[in-house]
Amino acid sequence: MATLTVTQNFGKGAKDLSVYKSLGGYSSIGSRLFDLSQFELIDLVTSSGLRGRGGAGFPTGMKWSFVPRNSGKPVYLVVNADEGEPGTFKDHFLMLEDPHRLIEGMIVCGWALGVRTAYIYVRGEFLPAIEALNAALKQAYDAGLLGENIAGSGYSLDIYVHRGAGAYICGEETALINSLEGFKGQPRLKPPFPAVSGAWASPTCVNNVETLMALPWILENGPAAYQALGTPKSGGTKVFSVSGDVKRPGVYEIPLGTPLMELLESPDLCQGVIGTLKGVIPGGSSSPVLTAEEAKKANMDYEALASLKTMLGSGAVVAFNETRGAVGMLASLTRFYAHESCGQCTPCREGTGYADRILKTVVAGKGRDGDLEHMLDIADNISYTTICPLAIADAWPIQNFIGKFRSEFDAEVAKNPGHAQARVSSDFRPGAFW
Amino acid sequence: MSHCHTKVEQPSASEILPKLEVPGVLSRVEELVRRYPLPRAALLEVLWLAQEALGWLPDEAIRWAAGKCKVSPVHAFGVSHFYTMYKKAPTGRFFVQICQNVSCHILGAEDIIAHAEKALGIRNGETTADGLFSLLRVECLGACGNGPVLQVNDDFATDVVDGTLAMPAGVGLTPERFDRIVDWCRRRAASLKAEPARDAVGGLFDTKGHPGATGATSAAQRPDYAPAPPALGVAVSRTEDGKVKVVWRAAPESNQLHLESRAGTGDFKLLATMTGKDKEWLGELSAGTEVRVVAQSGERRAKPSNVAKVEG
Repeated sequence: MATLTVTQNFGKGAKDLSVYKSLGGYSSIGSRLFDLSQFELIDLVTSSGLRGRGGAGFPTGMKWSFVPRNSGKPVYLVVNADEGEPGTFKDHFLMLEDPHRLIEGMIVCGWALGVRTAYIYVRGEFLPAIEALNAALKQAYDAGLLGENIAGSGYSLDIYVHRGAGAYICGEETALINSLEGFKGQPRLKPPFPAVSGAWASPTCVNNVETLMALPWILENGPAAYQALGTPKSGGTKVFSVSGDVKRPGVYEIPLGTPLMELLESPDLCQGVIGTLKGVIPGGSSSPVLTAEEAKKANMDYEALASLKTMLGSGAVVAFNETRGAVGMLASLTRFYAHESCGQCTPCREGTGYADRILKTVVAGKGRDGDLEHMLDIADNISYTTICPLAIADAWPIQNFIGKFRSEFDAEVAKNPGHAQARVSSDFRPGAFW
Repeated sequence: MSHCHTKVEQPSASEILPKLEVPGVLSRVEELVRRYPLPRAALLEVLWLAQEALGWLPDEAIRWAAGKCKVSPVHAFGVSHFYTMYKKAPTGRFFVQICQNVSCHILGAEDIIAHAEKALGIRNGETTADGLFSLLRVECLGACGNGPVLQVNDDFATDVVDGTLAMPAGVGLTPERFDRIVDWCRRRAASLKAEPARDAVGGLFDTKGHPGATGATSAAQRPDYAPAPPALGVAVSRTEDGKVKVVWRAAPESNQLHLESRAGTGDFKLLATMTGKDKEWLGELSAGTEVRVVAQSGERRAKPSNVAKVEG
């Protein structure tokens, strides 16, 4: 059995404080944590090789070191639990199964950065997880693990749950901060980065749920032990959400660097693919799709997936077999990104909808020659022209699905008897499908 | 639910305020506002409270929330329309949302939606005539391992197990399971008069010293709540003219540094006090003297640094 650093309490009823403590929980909240200075703690996290598990994979220790502590303003910690990337559901189950580990991780991070007030931003759909978190917070307050003077250390921390209300874009850290402040969840221009000027223009650290939940294990077992679990450049373990055509979908924690096919086929993990594997989305809907050939070569760590021109992202693996149409999958993704564009930047607001309307036309059997080039052209034009990466998250699936499964898209276009006729551009006017 | 193009009959303020201006709601609004440095930040949560109390968000409730959070009504209208989970129209008692995104799509969400429309006799976005069910296609619900998946009100469900809605590991919706869920809802409607209220944003905390409970937000936001900064890595060396040079690495927030020394085994005595910007100290010290640095930020003194010894 591989070493588990985050999910070891799954299925053990660790929602309850007494059970969590009996499993060794909150053991770091004491001299193990409070004897460490901030420098030592940040150095420790840096040397563990822990990287942000939300999608971007930024080294956590380095992120913490950017937070100034002499600005004269309070430092806020905001936990990103706005898990909306299609295919991702790890944070949902982490919060349902082990909310106290998140609280413990937040106390560790709070001590490192001198945080007095922290918020957990949970997406609105996860009400059961919000209820589990609130119950856990109440237990922690009653036990003196939160509030004033935690465990007699002189350090104080308050944690609040903030419920979002249904906007994918709020998973982007500056949009999340705007949403926390009571605005529409529209991303902010960077710089200034949240570490310098985030929530209420104060230094703010935004970390993913899984990142923080790895901290208690790192503190207990040491950074070297954590680093040793993964590859030299991608230390530790990662929680993957596997869905689609596998025999046993679910949340699995494996060391970084594990081959993708082992995750899909190991009897301890997903137990195999249903049917013949056609492709895999390795890191959430916006990561470029892998064909079955590429999937067989892929190792699940940041560098190996980057070498295949895709990314680890949030660790959402969607496997699909030969019976699934690539056109329909891409259509569901372009519709999603068109729906979730926040409307702030013109290239994204117009481009995602435009690409979606073209593909809807093709799916409706009215495609014409040149439509796919038109989509690729739009994907090219919306990339890197907007404040946040949502436009790129739309462009990558378009480019990769069409690039890797081109024959299916061509066949879909050819279903229109008049596909060779020239396209009149007003066919895609907004409202044509609403 | 998106009702941009639907005309909804709006209740007047006098109809909804008796349900909102009640002690249970008002005390929670006050607690929510205190959680944040500015009342505006509580807007999303206060809108949730209004939706919890009324079942949906009429225009007057948005106006009421704007007043509570001290923002203009137009700001609150903009925010409430940006987020998809605020219902701008009443829905049926069981609000069935079926995920149509990629994981659920490949596992047959479209078939489930077609089945649901047939079984309930309504289309996407509609409510049944008896007011029991509303149906809506939604994007990723964050339970892809159970695809295709749906939510009934705020609960995830792919099946009915032991008389309750459940989402067993790895189990996705099928038409039969969907029918079981609908049956469960109908039986519940027959035996239970109304759905019990759910706490939309979490209850009050009754803990001492909790700024939300005491209203001590401004004190809790004091920057000097940060732990005191450390000083690390003190080193001594001799310069060519025989003086002792002490160098250290200090945290950026240290605004005072206390250089302490001792000869032999006595207590450390203050040698010099410097600002946080100083990087080194030059002076006369006899061989064998030990030095260390203690950083201070505001009133808070840090743990002392390591100890360095002056060589002969």
